[in-house]
Amino acid sequence: MSNRILVVEDQEDNRRIVRDLLTTTDYEVTEAENGEEALASVARQRPDLILMDIQLPVMDGYEATRRIKADPALREIPIIAVTSYALSGDEEKARAAGCDDFVPKPYSPRQLLAKIRKFLP
Amino acid sequence: MLGENTRLRNELQEKSRALAEATAHRSQFLGNMSHELRTPLNAILGYTELILDDIYGGVPEPMRRVLKRIESNGKHLLGLINDVLDLAKIEAGQLTLTLAEYSMAEVVRNVFSAVEPLAAEKKLALTVDLAADLPGGHGDERRLTQVLLNLVGNAIKFTDSGEVAIAAASDNRAFHVSVRDTGPGITPADQARLFQEFQQADNSLTKKKGGTGLGLAISKRIIEMHGGRIRVESAPGRGSTFSFTLPITVTQQARRP
Repeated sequence: MSNRILVVEDQEDNRRIVRDLLTTTDYEVTEAENGEEALASVARQRPDLILMDIQLPVMDGYEATRRIKADPALREIPIIAVTSYALSGDEEKARAAGCDDFVPKPYSPRQLLAKIRKFLP
Repeated sequence: MLGENTRLRNELQEKSRALAEATAHRSQFLGNMSHELRTPLNAILGYTELILDDIYGGVPEPMRRVLKRIESNGKHLLGLINDVLDLAKIEAGQLTLTLAEYSMAEVVRNVFSAVEPLAAEKKLALTVDLAADLPGGHGDERRLTQVLLNLVGNAIKFTDSGEVAIAAASDNRAFHVSVRDTGPGITPADQARLFQEFQQADNSLTKKKGGTGLGLAISKRIIEMHGGRIRVESAPGRGSTFSFTLPITVTQQARRP
């Protein structure tokens, strides 16, 4: 069975880039547009990895990450923060919220895929 | 008299509250700005790379060449945005160092492998002289890497033939890191302006070589925030040596002078 990746991202273009990138792989992609949708999606169907944008409407990526990591049934799911907040201190904030890794935007799709493969070989 | 003191104190408190608020707003603005500028750029660079990787089908060679131009211009724009935002953050007093253990040898090696292709492309010799006994450091590794990348990147950019030599050594309290090139050299008058914002030694060179002229200003601030010093030695026709001295162990960020 192929691994499922949940992409949490409010920008249509950024979702599409990840979707197009992953069509060449075996990964299955589900999408959410904000933190609240992400929580609902995770509850519906457990993903094997989450790509989490940080600045999101309704509920931001920090909060969504904290809630997922607070749930013993879900905390093993690796979460990669994908964020434009690539100024000093933001990586620390993402890690403090529970993110397992961090990719600053703009990222190279090639490098993002390499990061994903680190968790889902 | 007492009433006057109280009034002054209240006024001072009010002023400092307003200042703190303005600073917070500025910081918020920088964060938003960073996000707003990078998001569309992310899409441009992302799609370009996907096309170049043939995700949407084979790309004919002439089109591939143009896409590579789009990619390199996009990356250049990204560099400009990063520089401007970094400097704005420093100016707003919002840039904080992330201080942790690091290896200076590792920093030098990482920079070397990042710029090696650029040197090779210009047929420049790129050498590294790393003292064998470099101690472990404590500072902001990412920011120090940024500084060394800037110095070595500049050296390669402005040198048309010969070599660029990176050296790192230490005494019992400081690292001494230098980048020597066989480039055109810099006049004393230009050396004085080099570390100021928006200054490059020769404005016509900016047009030819690109760059914001912000890199050295940012590098200077980062080194000073570590309690170190950055300097240049150069003469026209005799190359340039940029070097910095940096305390091995930095446990607290230096206040602005």
